[in-house]
Amino acid sequence: MPRALSTIWRVTEGHRVRYTMAWAALIASAAVLYAVPLVTLATLDGVLIDGGSKASHLSTQIVDWMGGPQFVRDHLWVPGVLLVIITAIAGVFTHLRTRLASGAAESVARRLRDRLYDHLQRLHCRTLDLKQSGDLLQRCTSDVETLRTFLSGQLIEIGRALVMLLAPIPLMLALDWRMTVASVVIVPLIVGFSWMYFRRMRPIFQLKEQEEGKMTTTITENLAGIRVVRAFARQEFEREKFAATSGEFRRQDMDLFKLFARFWATSDLLCFLQTIVAVGTGLWLLASDRLSIGTFFWFITAIGMFLWPVRMLGRILADLGKALVAIDRVREILDTPDEFAGEPETVPTLGTGGARIEFKHVTFGFTDATPVLNDVSFSIEPGTTLGIVGPSGSGKSTIVHLLLRLYEYSGESLRGSILIDGQELKTIPRRTMRGMIGTVMQQPFLYSKTLKENILISAAGHRNDESAMQSAAAVASVHNSIEEFPLKYETMVGERGITLSGGQRQRVAIARSLVQDPRILVLDDAFSAVDTHTEADILQSFRARDAHHTTIIVAHRLSTLMHADRIIVLDHGRITQSGTHEELLAQPGMYRTLWDIQTSLDDPDELPDGAAAVAAL
Amino acid sequence: MASSHLDDDFKGRFDPRVWRKLLSYLRSCRGAVVRIAIGGAAIAIIEALLPILVGQLLDEAHQNGFAGNLLPLASIYIVLFILFASCVWLFIRAAGDVATGVGYALRRDCFKKLQELSFSYFDARPVGWLTSRLTSDCGRISGTLPWVILDLVWGSLMILGTSVAMLYINPRLAGYVFWTVPLLIVASLMMQRLMLHSGRQARRTNSAMTASFNEELLGVRTTKALVREEKNLAEFQQLSTQMNTWMLRNAVQNAVYLPMIMTIAAAAAGLALWKGGALAGQDMTPGRLVAFLQFATLFAQPIQELSQRFADVLNASTAAERVVSLLETKPEIEDGPGVIAAMERQRVSPRPGAAIDGGSPRIRELRFEGVTFWYKPNVTVLRDFDLVVHEGQTVALVGATGGGKSTIVSLVARFYEPREGRILFDGVEYRDRSLHWLQSNLGVIQQVPHLFSGTIRDNIRYGKLDATDAEVESAARRVNAHGFVCELEKGYNFDVGECGEKLSTGQRQLIALARAVLRDPQIFIMDEATSSVDTSTERLIQGGIEEVLRDRIAFVIAHRLSTIRRADIILVIDGGRVVERGTHRQLLALRGRYFELYTNQYAVEREAQLFGAPSELTESSSPA
Repeated sequence: MPRALSTIWRVTEGHRVRYTMAWAALIASAAVLYAVPLVTLATLDGVLIDGGSKASHLSTQIVDWMGGPQFVRDHLWVPGVLLVIITAIAGVFTHLRTRLASGAAESVARRLRDRLYDHLQRLHCRTLDLKQSGDLLQRCTSDVETLRTFLSGQLIEIGRALVMLLAPIPLMLALDWRMTVASVVIVPLIVGFSWMYFRRMRPIFQLKEQEEGKMTTTITENLAGIRVVRAFARQEFEREKFAATSGEFRRQDMDLFKLFARFWATSDLLCFLQTIVAVGTGLWLLASDRLSIGTFFWFITAIGMFLWPVRMLGRILADLGKALVAIDRVREILDTPDEFAGEPETVPTLGTGGARIEFKHVTFGFTDATPVLNDVSFSIEPGTTLGIVGPSGSGKSTIVHLLLRLYEYSGESLRGSILIDGQELKTIPRRTMRGMIGTVMQQPFLYSKTLKENILISAAGHRNDESAMQSAAAVASVHNSIEEFPLKYETMVGERGITLSGGQRQRVAIARSLVQDPRILVLDDAFSAVDTHTEADILQSFRARDAHHTTIIVAHRLSTLMHADRIIVLDHGRITQSGTHEELLAQPGMYRTLWDIQTSLDDPDELPDGAAAVAAL
Repeated sequence: MASSHLDDDFKGRFDPRVWRKLLSYLRSCRGAVVRIAIGGAAIAIIEALLPILVGQLLDEAHQNGFAGNLLPLASIYIVLFILFASCVWLFIRAAGDVATGVGYALRRDCFKKLQELSFSYFDARPVGWLTSRLTSDCGRISGTLPWVILDLVWGSLMILGTSVAMLYINPRLAGYVFWTVPLLIVASLMMQRLMLHSGRQARRTNSAMTASFNEELLGVRTTKALVREEKNLAEFQQLSTQMNTWMLRNAVQNAVYLPMIMTIAAAAAGLALWKGGALAGQDMTPGRLVAFLQFATLFAQPIQELSQRFADVLNASTAAERVVSLLETKPEIEDGPGVIAAMERQRVSPRPGAAIDGGSPRIRELRFEGVTFWYKPNVTVLRDFDLVVHEGQTVALVGATGGGKSTIVSLVARFYEPREGRILFDGVEYRDRSLHWLQSNLGVIQQVPHLFSGTIRDNIRYGKLDATDAEVESAARRVNAHGFVCELEKGYNFDVGECGEKLSTGQRQLIALARAVLRDPQIFIMDEATSSVDTSTERLIQGGIEEVLRDRIAFVIAHRLSTIRRADIILVIDGGRVVERGTHRQLLALRGRYFELYTNQYAVEREAQLFGAPSELTESSSPA
């Protein structure tokens, strides 16, 4: 609880004044609202009833202020108009209260969302891997919403209940202390009852939510597996299965309704009890002339005004727990360290032309037990190309991730060093490093934007450089495909747009990296969905461009890397072979075997067939 | 959330036709509806009577003191209160009956409808979107209905009761107060419309923001690699500012509405005081004056409530439109009238040994005649396709993606129907047979095996609901699944988790095979996965497939060499046409497309072998 409160304090920074003013308006509106029935009280007592003979001191004063009993009697529109004006003033304060509180809450929510968005993209990859995206999403959306509702709704409601209850007390005491006691004696019972009731209802709420979750799972599974359901003709079975969970949910829901019915009925009875006590006391005092009618009327009206917020108080207090939990969850994300901590905000660029990359005895693993890279050493001269080949899990992509500093290589997890142009990678700010590297991954991610925006996404000043975009697309052999789309480069990708095939995505991502024109280009299995002919064309165009880049190609297909200046074979985290294509072919080993498999030439009689082949495989 | 563009079809206006259809659901909980009405009416009447009572009590006490006459009045007062509380209890419970009952019925009918709809419907709508229709839309509708009924009854009676009471006390005075009513109504309707609009815009922006967060999480590595953090944030801030604007506008509108209502109500009270006060001392006793003053302000409440309720109905309108549209969708593929009649005949006077539609229960021959198919009008996926398959034969379909292979298989299963041409079972057009009969004789294995939450045994039993444990185990043994199941802690009682997530892909594949084998279908359809599975499981799966393909008509979209080689008929499909047809040896000799595909796959499989088992615990998650 205290942590949640300190989070609220942190998060409302800059808006606290507005919020305090909202509370002031709340108090003001309450005070004015209670003044409204005073006018009626005064008019009734001082003028209308029994000729004003039984008016209290207060009533007489108010009537005099309005112009004296005679004047008022002849101009009864005066109190009438006064009622409207005072209510309007109270209305203005109420308006201000809502406006200020909501304004503050909305601003807080907006800033919080912005901060969460920004923070999420700066978190370490490792942190993100370990968290569930659904959970993170919920914290950024519904938990923030809960906080917002708390600030603009619940907190204000609590305030309103307290103010409406406490504000009139001085006035009440001034009017009649006995009626005061009679008017509030049951209130603690009302609040306590609703608070306790809602506490007890909480587990039932949770049960209902659980059942709803189960029902949702049943629906989702059925819809996701609709082909299985049809193919096995299990519609009837599924309907029965659904009827069971739907029925259970219905039962839980109904249980809640029953509880609510009991709550509201009892709460009503308690409120009536309060009213009866007050009315009874009032009538008794009235009958013995110890209370004026106007005052009686005022007390009845006042009770009517504070009973409703007081009834809600218990419920809000009980729901408070939920809001505090949500606030805590938001705080958790904000408190997770981001990966740019300690690095400069602006991104200095580092050099031009191809870079020199060196890995020296690098050993790295996510856990100490199984290192993904084991004593890996290699160097790449500026402007040259390195090819990396090996089975999945051998550590190929990890090399790429380390270069991008997506994973942290300090501490126990890494030994050895990585040098870029002679400078230790650790000392280069992440964003500088990433600015130097262009990556194309096997399953590239494209933003939900147009193809043009996606391809030109890295071009800082050249948003509309159509020629650069088209020439990059041509080199990536995707220009023709794009030209065939109805909207060509303006075609949207993603949810609201088309879904590209695997090969098309890879080629668009390749075009993207060409526009980026980085010092280091990394192609991590970037041609896996592209057929060999297209791949050869693209690589050819790459080579035709100037050689001011250092390139790393990771691939399965040897045809992709055979023209590299140097090739290393990675197996279980170790470099087992290294050399040029020709050198590797000359040695016995995985490279040559792979080459043989991939280029096995076509003599059908040589191909294994029949039973022997089945056994061989 | 992410598929909000699907909602662009729905207008969100108040459509009486839509709500009328939903109101028909109220008929099944008539009793509860009546109880709500009674409860609401009673509450309205009591609320209208109470000020009169207070007035009378006041007069009594004022004139006659705290004497005996007070007691009967006081007891009526107390009785009314107790009645009030009982009515509250009554109508909330009745509201619960209506809300839960209507919700249950709506969900049931939506679910049933979804079981009947054709796949083209599902192709266009993501599972998450459809699920929301059954959960949040049905919930919204069923949640709104009872309160609408209540407020309609209560509100109109309150207004009526208050008006009658005021007219009774003093008609002329009542006339003055009635002037404020149109003001209240106009103010309410005007403000509600504004708040509705801003509320909708806020919700729309909210969906966009959620989608934005979602995309951020998916593409975070790309964002880091491209150093796009700042630009992404700037784009997001546009959305969050927009949200802020709409929410603020909505709040301000609310902040204007309440004071407006308050002031109009005060005007009513002011009028009552002025005009009523003038009559004081005549036949307007203090008690009656006080009662009148209370009545004058009592109008505002029901009008406010009713306008709020109307806004709720409008808010729920989009939900209502979507649900009604789902309930009214007709399935594209269903049994024709002839089939329905035949099924009825068979049911009434069953011919022994016949299927449920009276036809032959066995499938000896399956024939495609000139079948053409397209998903979308200009994109023909299958052209003039011919094929004859006999009992016991396996057909392997190979070729590049999108060539039409899965279409052929979907047509066999009658998930879709041919646009041109016919499909015949033993010479009978399959559209003249019962859909249920065909699908009862199918076994299907998809690329990505789908399991349901529950035990392994439950999942296998999906193939035959009344299978004994022994039958389940025997099916598992036949497909080499028994081994790994026994190694699990709870064996066949192992809970596979949602969609089978607790098992590996290979294990799920084996369970799916066991399920299919238990079913012992006449037609077997399989779409082989190309996902990586470790070599030993791969071997088990191959053995399982061999078992399943035996002795029935089988269509396999094949990737594995072992499957392809074994087939009786191999079809190479490209661009919707059969480009090569024959047995493995015949096709190899052609040195054509098949040859190319075969040698390619051969290389892939040998390479996989060379690299050994891909471990399940490779370096983390998929790259950006």
